Amino acid sequence: MKYEVVIGLEVHVEMLTGSKLFCSCPNRFVAEPNVNTCPVCLGFPGALPQLNREALQQALRAAVALNCKVALYSYFDRKNYFYPDMPKGYQISQHYIPLGSNGFLDIEDEKGELKQVGIGRVHIEEDAGKLLHEAGGASGGSSMVDYNRAGGPLIEIVSEPDLRSSGEARRYLEKLKSIMQYAGVSDCKMEEGSLRCDANVSLRIPGDQSFGIKTELKNMNSFRAVEKSLDHDIKRQARILDSGEKVVTQTLRWDEDRQETIVMRGKLEAGDYRCFADPELAPIELTAEEVELARQNLPEMAAERARRFVEQYGLPEYDAGVLTASRCLADYFESCLEHFNKPKEVSNWVMGEFSAHLNNAGLEADQASFTPEDMVELLKMIDEQVISGKIAKEVLEKAFVSGKKPRLVVEEEGLLQISDQSELEAIIDRVISENPDTVESYRGGKGKALGHLVGQVMKATRGKANPQLVNELLVKKINS
Amino acid sequence: MELRKTTVRQAADAVWKGEITAHQLIEKTLKNCSVLNEGLNIFTYLAGIDAVEQAKAVDQKIKNGEKPPLAGIPVAVKDDLCYGVLPTGLGSPAFSEFISPVTAAAVERLMEAGAVVIGKTNLDDMGQGSTTLSSPNGPTVNPWLAGRTAGSAGAAAVATGVCMLAVESDSGGALRQGASHCGVAGLRPTTGRVSRHGLNAHCSSFARVGITAFSGEDISEVLDLISGFDERDAATAVCREGISEIIKAPGSKDITIGYPVTAFDYLEPELREIFEQARERFAEGGYRIEEVDLGLLREGLLAYYVIAMAEAFSNHARFDGIRFGKTAEADSLEEMYEQSRAEILGREARRRSIFGAFLLSKDNYGRYYRQALKIWEMVRQEFETVFERCDLLMLPAARSLPRSLEGESGFLEGWSEDLYCAPVSLSGMPALTIPAGQVDQLPVGMQLVGPPFSEKMLLAVGSASGSTGK
Repeated sequence: MKYEVVIGLEVHVEMLTGSKLFCSCPNRFVAEPNVNTCPVCLGFPGALPQLNREALQQALRAAVALNCKVALYSYFDRKNYFYPDMPKGYQISQHYIPLGSNGFLDIEDEKGELKQVGIGRVHIEEDAGKLLHEAGGASGGSSMVDYNRAGGPLIEIVSEPDLRSSGEARRYLEKLKSIMQYAGVSDCKMEEGSLRCDANVSLRIPGDQSFGIKTELKNMNSFRAVEKSLDHDIKRQARILDSGEKVVTQTLRWDEDRQETIVMRGKLEAGDYRCFADPELAPIELTAEEVELARQNLPEMAAERARRFVEQYGLPEYDAGVLTASRCLADYFESCLEHFNKPKEVSNWVMGEFSAHLNNAGLEADQASFTPEDMVELLKMIDEQVISGKIAKEVLEKAFVSGKKPRLVVEEEGLLQISDQSELEAIIDRVISENPDTVESYRGGKGKALGHLVGQVMKATRGKANPQLVNELLVKKINS
Repeated sequence: MELRKTTVRQAADAVWKGEITAHQLIEKTLKNCSVLNEGLNIFTYLAGIDAVEQAKAVDQKIKNGEKPPLAGIPVAVKDDLCYGVLPTGLGSPAFSEFISPVTAAAVERLMEAGAVVIGKTNLDDMGQGSTTLSSPNGPTVNPWLAGRTAGSAGAAAVATGVCMLAVESDSGGALRQGASHCGVAGLRPTTGRVSRHGLNAHCSSFARVGITAFSGEDISEVLDLISGFDERDAATAVCREGISEIIKAPGSKDITIGYPVTAFDYLEPELREIFEQARERFAEGGYRIEEVDLGLLREGLLAYYVIAMAEAFSNHARFDGIRFGKTAEADSLEEMYEQSRAEILGREARRRSIFGAFLLSKDNYGRYYRQALKIWEMVRQEFETVFERCDLLMLPAARSLPRSLEGESGFLEGWSEDLYCAPVSLSGMPALTIPAGQVDQLPVGMQLVGPPFSEKMLLAVGSASGSTGK
């Protein structure tokens, strides 16, 4: 393509806190609408907001984790606009002075080289409620509002327009997610809405100093969707520019079903939010010491943890990298080790089968019903030769899907390894009599032939035979 | 017991001693209230049975050997302060049946001390004004002269003797001007001294919860009860470690009273004379008088209105027909908002919201709003400078006599009444209105303004020198 792609991302992250941003309502998901609400987050007259110090600490942690300059003095502004999901008619945010600015994070660019992506600002703001539309006959149905989320603690992280491809955008998001997870700021689950991303994208002729006209992309529910909608819009913009026309400033919505972007609104309708300092909240004042302390107290990040995995557990660098890419997965791995201290074995299973199932199901490690305890149970069964490795894969899959304990799966499915000598001998005798040629070639010195015979026994037992025992018995019988 | 001739202390003592039960006192008060209310339009709601129940509970406490400091004292509560038992009308017809889930901190504390809420008092459209002329319920009549406005209904309730205390909000001066127009005492406290939890402020930066009573002495009885840290109002954090009061004994040369000479130039001669006489009385009373410069009153008034209207636009945005008020049947969301809001906000509230939206818009923010913030700071500094040399400052409370109930006058004229009160609101400093004299059978009050947390000195000086309106 002859154009240079310019992408900037605006990411909203739900912070992990006990309570909401300005009231003591619990900050967690509940299905029943309007349960986690109080006069403050419902905007009742006379109920005043109080800043949740824990949320401020979380935001501060995010800002320092993203290498931001932290404002020792900042405050909250009101962003005024009418919408039914906002109980007060305004959103409390930080418009004029963000908590953090001028930060960065590192990603790999298209050539695999390290690239620094600027972060313009990190600011604190409150979440809105959720509109529920009810379809209905001629009247067009009705809309209801669930304010459980209203007043929830968010941070908005705005990147500089430093990203040059949809792939870089995806890697930026992956890195951001990893940092937020490691810092303990958020679980960043995009499908659950604890990480939301809007993208600004424009094209220009390489070498141009000014930016092209940009469009804003919304409603992307996964990193993949971000990448695909960017690709879609980049192609669309390129076609427009190729034909000599101009791109129009507008907001587009990604339609997951149709796999395309759809125009939501033109920029002419963009609001004037009439931002001004919220007179009900005190300014945020921090000391340089507090900021420094937050920096020092940042938990171990992915790269450090990977290094530790190599040193402490003797894992190959590759394993350490894969396991630590997601904090959940690394936590999962270490939980397993607590009760089954064979790092490489655990790593193989966590990185391999377990991760494959996670990916298929679109889950994070901590969302799987197959817990570290289950994994340990499975690995112990292999270790104690209750089941074979092959059967174990089958057990894992069934346990993963059904949520049943691995041992129960083994029992219910009759997958216990056959270690009963007499039972095996009968099968082995049959295999020997059915394969005289193979037996002969083994006797003739062809070691490999034994493998074939073992395979036959395994096949006859549908994999449940103890392979070591089969080996021993076969050799003994043939040689006797 | 004649409440108008009794202090809060004496009345509570009488209830303690069993000379009168709280129940008897409140029954009598309620009867007086309903009679007076017909002529004066003071109350939006009377507590009735609830007040009787409150009084009985106080009597029970006394029987149990407790001595609630405000036993049986009847209190009026302005209708922008929530009291969870009665509707909180907010000065909007849409809220006439609104029962708030919260009760204002100051009301809560007075009730804990044995006071009995008698009813909710009238106020301007969404609490915006210092006259009650824009009230959806019609204006409150001045008990001194029918045909004139009371300024604030709480002050009228106290002046007529039906209530001994009124809890009221004060942003640009409603409480202070009401006290002036009705010849009673009214205290606007220092920023952060009294919790605003439960107050529907149209202007959060300047709204404070204060007390109106017959005299400074009566206000002194309740000030400590309603002061102090409340985790529900962040501004009270200044009182977390206690309050360092500025206390000086009245009538001594130790107290210097600032006299802003040019400030009185805006007054009609007969009003001006009252303040000259007040100055004389202070001098005779042994105070040092120092002439000071207060040159930013007019700018302060303008800045107040810019900020107040900007905040009202935002504070009242929540009254949009979704969560509050009736949802209008309309074809689009925009239309629904427009129609619902028209039902909730009256003329004055709509005017201020529209002006506020204008002042905060992209093009005007720098031109008006930011300038107003600068003036706010300058006014604050001007008052600070005064208090470097003076212990307190005397100012008029209102620019003219209470306004007539008849005849249209422009809204700008109404706003300019806040000339002496609004700049004090910007300063964040406490102010006490006490009666200063009379013109044409109408009382005229004076503001005593002091540095932060000088309320006790203001009350002491005010009690010692005010001519009472009784």
